[in-house]
Amino acid sequence: MNVTVSVFSIGIALMVPILWAALGEVVVEQSGVINIGIEGVMLIGAFCSALGYRYLHGLTWGLLLGIGGGIVCGLVLSLLYVRLGTDQIVTGILFNVLALGFTSTLYTKYLGGGVVKTYGAVKIPLLGDIKYLGEILFQQNVLVYASFLAAPVVFYLVNNTWYGLYARAASEHPRAAETAGLNVWRLRYPAVIVGCTLSAVGGATLVLTTSGGFVNGLTEGRGFIALAVVVLARWNPFAVIAGCVLFGVAQALQFQIQNLGPLSHVPSDFVLMFPYVITIVAVVAARGSRYPAAIGIPYRPSSATAA
Amino acid sequence: MSAVNLAFRSIAVRHETTLRSLAGTIVAVALTLGVIAAVLAGLGANPWSAARGLVSGALGNRFNIGQTVMIASLLILTGLAAAIPFSARLWNIGAEGQMYFGAFVVAGLGLTLPSDMSRWLLCSILVLASLVAGAVWALVPGVLKATINANEVIVSLMMTFIALEVADYGITALWPQPAAPQTRYLPVNATFPSIWTGTLVTAGAPLALAAVIVAWVVMRRSGLGFEIRAIGLNSRAAQMNGMRVGRVTIVAFAMGGAFAGLAGAINVLGMNNALVSGFSGNFGYLGIAVALLARLDPTWIIPSAVLFAILRVGSNGLQVQTGLSPDVGEIVVATFVILLLVFKVIRLRYAEAQSV
Repeated sequence: MNVTVSVFSIGIALMVPILWAALGEVVVEQSGVINIGIEGVMLIGAFCSALGYRYLHGLTWGLLLGIGGGIVCGLVLSLLYVRLGTDQIVTGILFNVLALGFTSTLYTKYLGGGVVKTYGAVKIPLLGDIKYLGEILFQQNVLVYASFLAAPVVFYLVNNTWYGLYARAASEHPRAAETAGLNVWRLRYPAVIVGCTLSAVGGATLVLTTSGGFVNGLTEGRGFIALAVVVLARWNPFAVIAGCVLFGVAQALQFQIQNLGPLSHVPSDFVLMFPYVITIVAVVAARGSRYPAAIGIPYRPSSATAA
Repeated sequence: MSAVNLAFRSIAVRHETTLRSLAGTIVAVALTLGVIAAVLAGLGANPWSAARGLVSGALGNRFNIGQTVMIASLLILTGLAAAIPFSARLWNIGAEGQMYFGAFVVAGLGLTLPSDMSRWLLCSILVLASLVAGAVWALVPGVLKATINANEVIVSLMMTFIALEVADYGITALWPQPAAPQTRYLPVNATFPSIWTGTLVTAGAPLALAAVIVAWVVMRRSGLGFEIRAIGLNSRAAQMNGMRVGRVTIVAFAMGGAFAGLAGAINVLGMNNALVSGFSGNFGYLGIAVALLARLDPTWIIPSAVLFAILRVGSNGLQVQTGLSPDVGEIVVATFVILLLVFKVIRLRYAEAQSV
């Protein structure tokens, strides 16, 4: 494998946690809710999967427990964001603090280090033999392939099902959606729960594939990067993949920087800040991108207002 | 007559909401205590001894009180860093990064400027530098918000992660202290003098109080503060009335960032005497909670910051008593504020025009 292929191959593996998180955020935001707590959801997903691996002995159990953690996060956050109508940005930020506190406390007590045997690479027959492209795309672990399949599923859910279209109506003009006979809350609950579950899978992926273990604050802003990718990709899951590749490669550079000639003298701290700088550039580049009109605004059904 | 009526009505309404928010606060406090007790019991710790550990850890002796005072000073400043932009409904979530960048600049200048200057002059220069540094860091999200309406939540968060790497570069490459995750110690002339013997309280604490006065004057007694609050209530109406929303956005961010930068200076010059890796225990993020509990009012930020400082410093005592990691403090704080949001003690208003 030459250096470029290896940067891209590592980049694909590194982008997948962000991809899962971003797909989850697409689902949430297309119902009119913004989940700034995505970072905390990823962290809890990562922690639960490390816990599952440690105590139930197995990658599958790790993944399942991570998914369970995501569902619990989704239930709590949908209650706050939708039913109780708390401010979504503030609630999300505090949820991140809460998740960091919870996972760090429990980590000291129950995990304390511990390495996870990660999902190994599975080479897809024929496709994996293609020069360069096969090495980059088709010699990865199963969670990478699963994320490639999840993107079209999310696309179909949001753009082609009655649920997705109704939820999007609720994100643009909830009052009109309600007048048309839709229940805005019931459209938003499942979006938040499903979205959080997908984001938690992102956290689990981090533990079970690339990082191979949990440490406090493991996610390092990947949830926030996912938030930016979603805006850049204009809520299109396929464009989300493209955006994530950018960040994956930006992260992969740190592992190969010493082989990249002129870049090899850049101090490692500057290489590490690269993905964050790119995110800001991406936000600037996405300036024509418009959030759904009613995003972030808690909805009060008109019947509740009358009561 | 009608004016009297109106005045009476408004007093009555205010009275009712105060009562309701008081009741809400009590319920939130009770529920928080319940949740925390359940969590502690679940972790196998005795909630009662945990509470005792928390209080004695924060206020048990002179030394601990001094530590609480200094942490409260940092939280006052990061609270202001959140409160001023929040008043204009601008989400400056990046106080953590603005604080780190302020600390980085102060540490660098303190180590390079000639140390034979008078202590007054040197400290003044460094404080000024920290204000500028924090403001510059906050200008990135501020200007991008004002000019191209970039999402300030994402940009200010990303600036935080960049600032962490910048600070790390200072610690590991520019001014490293051998065998320790920090920079070299600053010369004595570049550090704040102690103002309470036997404790770690330095001149940084009164600086934080001075910042509250400045913020109060700006927010309550100046045209700029009026514009900031008007934009927060309804930015379109403010614009219709001739307020320059973009300019106020940039100024609000710069002010918030300056306060956060000062928090960085207090940590470096008045607490650690060096830039220490990971010096902030999420103080930038906790500032958001401090500001919200104070309902964005600069004067209420003082008691709010003291409360959070007690919880924060007390968690160290809690660790001694229960063997749990001090991160429990974060759970306490976040649960408390989320419940305050749920019980509408903290309310953020929305312009009706947006929700239709």
